[in-house]
Amino acid sequence: MTGNILLLLVIIWPMAGALAAWLIGRKTKTGRDLFADGVTAAELILLAVLFAGGIGGRGGFTETAFSWPGFGGLGLTLKLDGFRILYGLIAAFMWFMTTVFSREYFKSYRNRNRYYLFMLMTLGAVMGVFLSDDLYTTFLFFEIMSFTSYTWVAHEEKEAAMKAAGTYLAVAVLGGLVMLMGILLLYHLAGTLSFGKLLSACEALPAERRGTLYLAGGLMAFGFGAKAGMFPLHIWLPKAHPVAPAPASALLSGMLTKTGIFGILVVTANLFRHDPVWGTCMFLLGLATMFGGALLAVFSVDLKRTLACSSMSQIGFILVGVGMQGLLGEENALAVRGTILHMVNHSMIKLVLFMAAGVIYMNLHRLDLNEIRGFGRKKPLLAFCFLTGALSIGGIPLFGGYVSKTLLHESIVEYIHGTVLGPAAFWKASEWIFLLSGGMTVAYMTKLFVAVFVEKNAVRQKQFDEMTRYWNEESRAAVTVSALLLLPMGLFPGAVMDKLADLGQAFLHGESPAHPVRYFAVGNLKGSMISIAIGVVIYFGFIRTVLMERDETGRKVYVDRWPAWLDLEQLLYRPVLLRFLPWLFGGICRILDEYLLGPAVRGFMAVTGFFCRLLDQLTDSVILLARKTTHRQTGIHREKPIGDHLAYSLGHFLDGCIHIANGTFLRKHPIQKSYVRGLVEFEEETIRTNRIITGSLSFALLLVCVGLLFVLIYLLFV
Amino acid sequence: MEQDYLLLLPVFFPITAGLFTAIFFRAKDRRKAMTVLVSVSLVLELLLTLLCLMRPDGFLSLWRLTDTLEVAFAVDSMSRIFSGLAAAVWLLVGIFAFSYMKEEDHQGLFFGFYLMVEGSLAAQCFAANLVTYYVSFELMTLTSLPLVLQERTKEAIMAGLKYLFYSVAGAFMALFGIFFLAGFGGIGTFAPGGILDGTKVVGHEGLLLASSFLMILGFGTKAGMFPLHGWLPTAHPEAPAPASAVLSGVITKMGVLAIIRTVYYVVGPDYLKGSWVQTVWMTLALITVFMGSMLAYCEKVMKKRLAYSTVSQVSYILFGLSLFNKTAFIGAIAHVIFHSLVKNTLFLGAGAIIHQTGKRLMTELRGIGKEMPVVIWCFTLVSITLVGIPPTSGFVSKWYLATGALASGTGVFSWLGPVVLLISALLTAGYLLPVTIHGFFPGADFDYSSLKKREPSPLMTVPMLLMTAGAVLLGLFPGVVLGAASRTALLLF
Repeated sequence: MTGNILLLLVIIWPMAGALAAWLIGRKTKTGRDLFADGVTAAELILLAVLFAGGIGGRGGFTETAFSWPGFGGLGLTLKLDGFRILYGLIAAFMWFMTTVFSREYFKSYRNRNRYYLFMLMTLGAVMGVFLSDDLYTTFLFFEIMSFTSYTWVAHEEKEAAMKAAGTYLAVAVLGGLVMLMGILLLYHLAGTLSFGKLLSACEALPAERRGTLYLAGGLMAFGFGAKAGMFPLHIWLPKAHPVAPAPASALLSGMLTKTGIFGILVVTANLFRHDPVWGTCMFLLGLATMFGGALLAVFSVDLKRTLACSSMSQIGFILVGVGMQGLLGEENALAVRGTILHMVNHSMIKLVLFMAAGVIYMNLHRLDLNEIRGFGRKKPLLAFCFLTGALSIGGIPLFGGYVSKTLLHESIVEYIHGTVLGPAAFWKASEWIFLLSGGMTVAYMTKLFVAVFVEKNAVRQKQFDEMTRYWNEESRAAVTVSALLLLPMGLFPGAVMDKLADLGQAFLHGESPAHPVRYFAVGNLKGSMISIAIGVVIYFGFIRTVLMERDETGRKVYVDRWPAWLDLEQLLYRPVLLRFLPWLFGGICRILDEYLLGPAVRGFMAVTGFFCRLLDQLTDSVILLARKTTHRQTGIHREKPIGDHLAYSLGHFLDGCIHIANGTFLRKHPIQKSYVRGLVEFEEETIRTNRIITGSLSFALLLVCVGLLFVLIYLLFV
Repeated sequence: MEQDYLLLLPVFFPITAGLFTAIFFRAKDRRKAMTVLVSVSLVLELLLTLLCLMRPDGFLSLWRLTDTLEVAFAVDSMSRIFSGLAAAVWLLVGIFAFSYMKEEDHQGLFFGFYLMVEGSLAAQCFAANLVTYYVSFELMTLTSLPLVLQERTKEAIMAGLKYLFYSVAGAFMALFGIFFLAGFGGIGTFAPGGILDGTKVVGHEGLLLASSFLMILGFGTKAGMFPLHGWLPTAHPEAPAPASAVLSGVITKMGVLAIIRTVYYVVGPDYLKGSWVQTVWMTLALITVFMGSMLAYCEKVMKKRLAYSTVSQVSYILFGLSLFNKTAFIGAIAHVIFHSLVKNTLFLGAGAIIHQTGKRLMTELRGIGKEMPVVIWCFTLVSITLVGIPPTSGFVSKWYLATGALASGTGVFSWLGPVVLLISALLTAGYLLPVTIHGFFPGADFDYSSLKKREPSPLMTVPMLLMTAGAVLLGLFPGVVLGAASRTALLLF
């Protein structure tokens, strides 16, 4: 272990705190809540100390590093630079605020101990992702984060929550494995995964291996993009946010999507620095994500779903900035700074908006705009907080979102004015899609604000107005502090935003622009004004006419006009991944498994069995054939021996006697044997013996005669 | 060479103890004495094995069947890895089995054969040539059969017969190969890089390849390689959980060790590299990886699902071996250890669930995590390990396997391999994580009032906890395992 051990502590501290909180939570719930507040507060202080210690130096921040060779195989390397401390601080701040807010929000929830355990674990993992200095470490913490954050989405355990959580996990696992494939390919190509060495290693690659590098980058972008909510992998985002508890939604939307962006930035800045092809791909994906998300948000009638779709859309804005970094090449200062600032803005804004939505949900347990309509009337502080976030994300001048969106817009304009790839009309159209998406942001945020804070509820307005204790001091402080922080970001862009951008740009190998941007110049205000005008037109021309209709009582209500079948997940992913592919490959495998070896063995056995049976019967059948043909046996004729008549008749007579005797005096012990067989055998034996005797006597007589003859001859001649 | 008689102890001590147990502890009422004897034997065996491992390489020529056939034992780096693993796992699973088998009949026979199998495992690990290996391999098949037959039901007997038929068919294929290798000088003492007599091989390369292939296929039967994997999903659901655990976790690895010995210590990678044998072997291994995961994903019976998972995972190892690449080889050896820990824990977890609740199907496990949190936590962590999520150990081995494949220069396989491994990992997540999800997230309408604490006794949970800790911690600090594997790999490449 070498380097600054505090960097490791940033990761280990919340994880250890998670286990401690879980143990404490088994004894006392209040103690656990306060302890969790303390852990996140200490984390924030720790990062603030690191920030204060490193301020100054090259690029505004002195880098420190930490490495632990051998950890997990390839070693763990961490690094703290300007961008990382910036995001580390934002993450710690968001966790602190949401943890404070959680206490009231979760009052009536079950399984809170589980929530706190995984909430703090995820903090450690997110810190690990942001501090990582090689893709191996990034991947390690990225995967921990995916799994621990799963429990947030599933927390309520309702059917919709479980389904959304399933989608989230599936996307996370799939994304993680695809990313791993990309990392493996990259490691094979470049021989290193360290951020510091990747840039030179990738630039040194020969041209013919460039294609593989694009493949590796694409696979990694798939994995990181899945977490970021990039089209077409955004499917988990609109589903997971409405069902997750509000503090978790804020973190998912504000921070976890940014870990995905972090990965994409690493790939873009180190693998494809100033690469227009990569830039175009990212730009197109960004455009689709930005417009698609905005479109879904305009149609949505659910408060948190709208915010989730808005997150997707804002990620699209960030990806457009990422694309522009590649397209603009050396002159990408505006794109780099716009990307970083929009990330920061979006994290901070979504924290406020989701916590405000959480306040509404914890009072009403409803999210449908028609049901929560009018809840915000006569609640000025809540309205102020929500409005600050809404104006900022809408890109209204004097708010933070305006600064970053202006930078992104100006980078597109700058590109159009230079030499462009492909037809110029396409890039002009892209600029208009960008402005249109900005307009749609204004429109849907207006829709939310008007519905919740301006319009009256037909049924429960009186009841809503009486809810004055709708949040406690802790929650109020968390939401208000987060909202107040947004103000200086927009009011003093030169003092705040430019400093943040200076801090972060070294990570993306960016440089400060030649002259500082004058944010409130007429040229820069023009884009924003066009967007606002489009927003007004969409709100009045589309949302209030097409997306609202009068119900029976004549009041206008919000209706969901989005066709239910038009859902990429239900339409494509689930049928293909859960039905078709398992059916197809499962079937093939089942055939291989059951119907290949078994029948093959049976067939083999049948064939060999047949032949073996043939061989077995070979000799026997030759013999059989011979017996049937050449060696047919003559029939055996059993002749009755001559002279047995006496034995037969005597035997039958005796048998008759016995039969009579058995029927009369031998009834108790009847004689069972037949005399015929015995007598016949006796007679045959006698006859045979007699024959032998006869035969041998005559033979003896013959020999005697021969002997006598010889005696006679002897007597005659001697 | 100096004779090292100590090597006899880890082989023959458990066999003797096992025979004694099987013969003298048939009655149920002497359970306590039997438990003491078996547990002392298991601990002693672990110590004996460690004693043999700690010392420098030893050699023992036991007797000569003929002037060329020799039964001999030796210790080398490969046997250190496998025998240490087998003895440690055997002890932990044995402890679990005491509690699991408490109410069962024929315990004396079960534990007797359990010990005898351990002796045969040690014999395989320490075998110094193919003949000794083959004899011990057959001994393992025969002594492990009664473990499958334990339940004495018709299904168990049919499953046992299937296990026997597959094993015998595989072993004979291997024996057939050994006959031919003997002609090339293949039955001498194992040595890294191969021992064949090059002059005898000239002109008979085709025969050498064919016989090597038969041996890979034959020994691959025990490792559950397609097309002879069929015994695993049949035998596992019928055997008692501790038996399934060691069948899956350790006995399949003996097939792997046999293939390592054949390929890397007898034939030598140089003959096989780039030949049709390598291509077919890689293809079969990848088919098995994919098929096993896919069928596990489609399977409903928990233990059968785990059995298919073993089919898939052991072929990760075989794929790593088939690449003839140093990094992949290290990954394969690491995966032997990690998969063994994981699969044993998974089967013990399944066993604990069956023992405590009687539930055998994946669909019945709703809320199980609330009833037995320790077991399901172990199950979850090792599931994640098996999927290969960092920082657990499964990730480390898969990383090595995949980077090795990419660097192996085997054409299409160098990228197809990692792709199949990752698809299989995705399926692994699909078939293992539902247990955790339904176990810990039973749903908002779950009736918490009927919940009972069903945590099994510490005898069952402690072995699981130890193996889970091993699976996770070896991922964080894989230096020990990777060091041992690379020391071996250095000799071979």
